[in-house]
Amino acid sequence: MGRKLLLEHINVPGINTLDVYRQNGGYRAVEKALKNLTPDEVVEEVKKSGLRGRGGAGFPTGMKWSFLAKPEGVARYMVCNADESEPGTFKDRYLMTHIPHALIEGMIISSFALGASTSYIYVRGEMMPQIRILERAIAEAKNAGFLGKNILGTGYDLELYVQPGGGAYICGEETALLESLEGKRGNPRIKPPFPAIAGLYGCPTVVNNVESIAAVVPIINDGGEEYAKIGIGRSTGTKLISASGNLVRPGVYEIELGLPVEEFIYSDEWCGGIANGKRLKATVAGGSSVPVLPANLTLKLANGEPRLMSYESLSEGGFATGTMLGSGGFIAFDEDQCIVRNTWNFSRFYHHESCGQCSPCREGTGWMEKVLHRLEYGHGKMSDIDLLVNVAKNIEGNTICPLGDAAAWPVASAIRHFRDEFEWHVNEPAKALKTNYGLANYAEPIAKAEVTTGN
Amino acid sequence: MLKVEEPQPVHFSPALIEKFGEIVKRYPEGKHKSALLPILHETQAELGWLSSEAMDKVAAYLDIQDIEVYEVASFYSMYFLKPQAKFVMEVCRTGPCCLVGAEKIMDHLENKLGVKEGEVTADGLFSWRGVECLAACGYAPVLQIGPDYTFYENLTEQKVDDLINDLRNK
Repeated sequence: MGRKLLLEHINVPGINTLDVYRQNGGYRAVEKALKNLTPDEVVEEVKKSGLRGRGGAGFPTGMKWSFLAKPEGVARYMVCNADESEPGTFKDRYLMTHIPHALIEGMIISSFALGASTSYIYVRGEMMPQIRILERAIAEAKNAGFLGKNILGTGYDLELYVQPGGGAYICGEETALLESLEGKRGNPRIKPPFPAIAGLYGCPTVVNNVESIAAVVPIINDGGEEYAKIGIGRSTGTKLISASGNLVRPGVYEIELGLPVEEFIYSDEWCGGIANGKRLKATVAGGSSVPVLPANLTLKLANGEPRLMSYESLSEGGFATGTMLGSGGFIAFDEDQCIVRNTWNFSRFYHHESCGQCSPCREGTGWMEKVLHRLEYGHGKMSDIDLLVNVAKNIEGNTICPLGDAAAWPVASAIRHFRDEFEWHVNEPAKALKTNYGLANYAEPIAKAEVTTGN
Repeated sequence: MLKVEEPQPVHFSPALIEKFGEIVKRYPEGKHKSALLPILHETQAELGWLSSEAMDKVAAYLDIQDIEVYEVASFYSMYFLKPQAKFVMEVCRTGPCCLVGAEKIMDHLENKLGVKEGEVTADGLFSWRGVECLAACGYAPVLQIGPDYTFYENLTEQKVDDLINDLRNK
């Protein structure tokens, strides 16, 4: 059983209320930070913890904080990115639904560390129920003196507001989020300047993911060094994994980074194996944007060692044989799933969500969707496969924001690992319309007999 | 399809205007344009959709150009620029949901309601559409219904039938 830092009390009845949250140790970290530590000391603890951004990029949070410009007389802003939209990712929704005060407590400490007196939680608009939950929790915290003027008599003032988005994946990109928060279309900005210099309303701003902000609470309670002892190497602490697809028990799990992927998929403590007694074909380990891997490379590195759930181990082997931890959106595909169809589905998603500013992304995502559609529906040509590789290559790295890369990687990796399945769609179009290719012949899933399905 | 009505002056209730006032207070002085997205949500929740008259009225309230409202309303997928059914059933159609049967749920809705994606039933009550990832992949297949965006999770054909019956009797 791994340590739980964020979800330790998730099953306590009423943990979504301030009273029960406090009875379980809640808001101790706010007291400790505001009364006993200076803002710089809080930043120092977060640096020591080795916490890396939980939204997908994995950039060290403490370092991001230390880049914040602090010109005299200019407001600074702390913004929480709760625009959770990466396909396969639903951990932030879970956290905000069940334990909203963890986010609010983290926001108070983070805002204090950065010297912000107004902070916003930007929540994707579809999460209206979560917006109401957060608003209620903020009102509770304010009544108890944790928000507003002169918090806990320390002289620190903070107002915290929830801002709904309008339904746009791109607003999870931090500069698009800031544009949206300013009441505009979610078009990403050209960087530099980075938000740490010119963010919301042109002022220095830090944007952090929900889970990163919530993780600040245990870091302050136990100290950054204690936090850094959990996990493996530069992947410190715990991580929320959103598990979906063909699993016996999909859901949100808090793992200590470094857990073997095989254990995560098959152990009864976690996902309980592949649903309906099927075998694993492939996974997308970190949200739809990261490369898809066949079962064998999911479970083991190219050298045969077990692959672990950590930033380093998941990316071991680069894109040739590895992938990325990303947002921790872990999607499992069983032997009946079609890689071409899924790749087309993801391409349609990116085409739909491209903001249209950069032509490689605007045109390329639509082009890839079209070509994948004809491959899936039996009208593809053999040359289409290399055409897709070429289009993906021409999007990657040629756009203002990472949505272009995110659209290119799933396509490039699907062809890299499952080329024979794409070719089969061209050679056997009639068959491909009726049945699926099944397991890729180079995937070596664990034999059925060894799998505990938990059913 | 619903007929698009002739332009008519829109009326915002006093309660809606009061909400606008509360929203605007969240931002620093002079940054009230930030209120645009939340104000459009509230407006749509009251009126069911955003007519150009409604958007012009929002622009006047925030003292910004009409085009600043149109360009935002047309960018984000949650704002309806045409009249809608009373219940718009939005089914997630992105990868993880499709692994566990979202496409079957959409087929079932089409058969059950007898309308294609985006069309409204003759009684004006229902429409359905596929939408992109709703961040509920572990409870797939899912659908949501505005304006409060209640979620219906782990859908089966039976659950969809029951939901339609419940809504019809509402």
